[in-house]
Amino acid sequence: MKTFFQRVFNTEFLPMSEVRKIKVLIVMVFLLVTTLSTVPFSLVLDYSLAFKIGAIALLFVSYVVILLFLRFGRYVIASQLSIVYMLFVTVFYTQGSSSFFAYLFFYILLMIVIFYQELYLFVFYGTLTLGFGISYVLLNQADFVLLGGQQETIFLLIATLSLFYLIFLIQILHSEKLYTELNLDWVKMNQIIDQYQEHSLHYLAELRKTQKESPLYENVVFQQAANEIAVFITEQVREHGKDILNVLDLYLYIHERGLSHILDNDDFSIPMKRMASRLEKYLLNKKSDMVSMIFNFQTIYQPSEPYVPNRYAYKISEIASSREDQILALACLYAFLANEPSQLDQYDQMTKVLSKAEIEALFTSPEAEQILDYELVAFFKANKDLFEEYLHGWKRKE
Amino acid sequence: MGRKKRYLFTEIEGTRETIEITHLRTKNHFVLAFLLLFFVLTYTFLILTRTPSIEWIYVGIVFAIVILLNIAALAYGKEDRSFYQINKYTTTFGIYTIILVLIFTINTIGIFPALFLAYALSAFYQDLKVMIISDVLLLFSIIMMMINVPQAMNFISGTFEDNLGLAFFVFLFISLLTIASYIIIKQKRFFYNQIALAKETEFRNIDLLIELKKRVGEPEIDFPNYYHHVLAFTEAFSQRIEMENEFKVRLELLALLEQNKPYSEVVTTYPNLSKTDYEGLADLLLTSHHKLRKMALKLSHLSTFDIKHREIFSETHFKSFNHAADQIEIKIVAFSIFYAALKHGNEYISPISEADIAKVLLETDYYYYFDPRVIKIYEENVRVFESIIADVFRKECLK
Repeated sequence: MKTFFQRVFNTEFLPMSEVRKIKVLIVMVFLLVTTLSTVPFSLVLDYSLAFKIGAIALLFVSYVVILLFLRFGRYVIASQLSIVYMLFVTVFYTQGSSSFFAYLFFYILLMIVIFYQELYLFVFYGTLTLGFGISYVLLNQADFVLLGGQQETIFLLIATLSLFYLIFLIQILHSEKLYTELNLDWVKMNQIIDQYQEHSLHYLAELRKTQKESPLYENVVFQQAANEIAVFITEQVREHGKDILNVLDLYLYIHERGLSHILDNDDFSIPMKRMASRLEKYLLNKKSDMVSMIFNFQTIYQPSEPYVPNRYAYKISEIASSREDQILALACLYAFLANEPSQLDQYDQMTKVLSKAEIEALFTSPEAEQILDYELVAFFKANKDLFEEYLHGWKRKE
Repeated sequence: MGRKKRYLFTEIEGTRETIEITHLRTKNHFVLAFLLLFFVLTYTFLILTRTPSIEWIYVGIVFAIVILLNIAALAYGKEDRSFYQINKYTTTFGIYTIILVLIFTINTIGIFPALFLAYALSAFYQDLKVMIISDVLLLFSIIMMMINVPQAMNFISGTFEDNLGLAFFVFLFISLLTIASYIIIKQKRFFYNQIALAKETEFRNIDLLIELKKRVGEPEIDFPNYYHHVLAFTEAFSQRIEMENEFKVRLELLALLEQNKPYSEVVTTYPNLSKTDYEGLADLLLTSHHKLRKMALKLSHLSTFDIKHREIFSETHFKSFNHAADQIEIKIVAFSIFYAALKHGNEYISPISEADIAKVLLETDYYYYFDPRVIKIYEENVRVFESIIADVFRKECLK
């Protein structure tokens, strides 16, 4: 329980899937409280005793079904079912009385839908709730007018519920648009970081060759250290810690023979092949999540310039204000790409220099907008011949 | 585990705030639009119910104050961003004041749910402090309503069931609102933090790449050659547009900067040059870790990305050792390999000390990159881990 609360307080560090899990669990607590409270409240509802018992029993059974979905990690289905569950509770209350409390249940139901912050859930269930809420008020007009003392109470109840729905609809739409844009930037940044790391991995291999060292995964001390640590952790989780060594052996074997060898070999069982596939993202001999995490950790201990507001400025116009400086920067960038090896060749050597056509395609691509303004691209297009004549491939010529 | 985790790179705070402020302005626009809509609906209701005109004036004054404050904050926010921040709080107070004035004016049960509108509007800001203020104001408003205008709550007959019902509803609703808002706010922070973190990671990885290039002995940028060719290019361009070569002086300054010539020396030849201008030119150098070098590296790694997976901040792009689909054995192996790799070091970085590893893994966002069970075992046995590794490395040394 303590760990759960700590995870709730630290939600900002958790990925979407983890947050969804937490949200469903919180909603389940609310549903439990609501269901338990329904037992005494059902006494005042206008249903027969048999119907009340049947409905409450159904609620408890449904609750257990949602728990089962949670148990098997089906969080998306569980979240949908939790909304349907609350919808059923709302129907139970609203059809059993014409009380103002029943009307308030529409807000609780909307809040649960809003809580998940998923557009499709809100559009479907939120609109359903709004429609149901409005029809409930219209069908029970007489009761509400009696309570409110004036005919216009109906207007007030419907307008408030609709505005409440509208505010959150706009909020979710705005968030969806914003997060989609941020997500796109994030994915692009991750992909480019992957490419830097791929080159870093290449240079690390070059360094290893010059130092005449074996790769980390072939290093016996490293293997021994990983084995001991894995056995220790496994012993804390289950009785037999040594079993983990089979997984570690498989992990090292993938480095040695490659994943395809295991997947194509009938001697390996299906669970073993599945495990090998899952281990692939942690390999050390190629650009993987493991390599990324190690590089990122190591950058902590690398000296870095102190923070300044333009630390992440990669656009020429952000570092050079005058047109002359911007053109100089553009010329230098072109010269760099046209003369310095920046790509791995077919033999995995860093020798490939971009051709004229490749640079032109790069400068005019949408991705280059991260660095070049439209005006600079136009300048490049207008003076392409000069760029190519004076700045391309002088190193080779020399 | 009890400690509040922090982000490893403090540099991301500034970026996150910038992103937050940029989007706060849009949110302020939306809230203003809703206030205007609310104003129209309220006056429609007042007209329909033929409410006395003096009450129209009270309601109108409060609306006018809140709306004008919003417009003013939006206008001044362009100059000073703190106005956007202040506007969040003043609007939250303003909305609740409007609702309370309406409650006292209209006196009907129908106005009770308008309090939720106030909460919804303030929730639009997705801000922790605003959420707390809103919670307090919502509770305060309900209590005020129960004490001062019980007739507005005449759906309560005064029976025990009704009072219990109301208390239960208020508790349920406020708790749900608060937890929902809290998690939504945290989720928003997660998105902003991920962007800020990715920017910092990119920055550091470019630095790492530059260092590794240097370490393998790749030749440094040959600046004189660059100077020579870029000068020829600018000469040709100047001829084309039939102008004097205005780039020459800037190129000469770049050459002096590259030679680390101090400003005091350079200014004697270029008396019109300011120190800021001269130092600012350093960003345009292609050598070392200067900005233009980083841009060149970024540009050389750019390609057209094909992003198929649309799910927001999908786990497939999230690098961690805690993927939901992985079995515990895989998570243990991943942690062990990662930990052993850090302790072993590589061709570029020496082994990292236990204190440094523990500090990062247990006190920062790194904590959440691992399965909770695995990281808890490490947390409770830091010394044991250290001894295991020391023992393995010692045995190797003895061999």
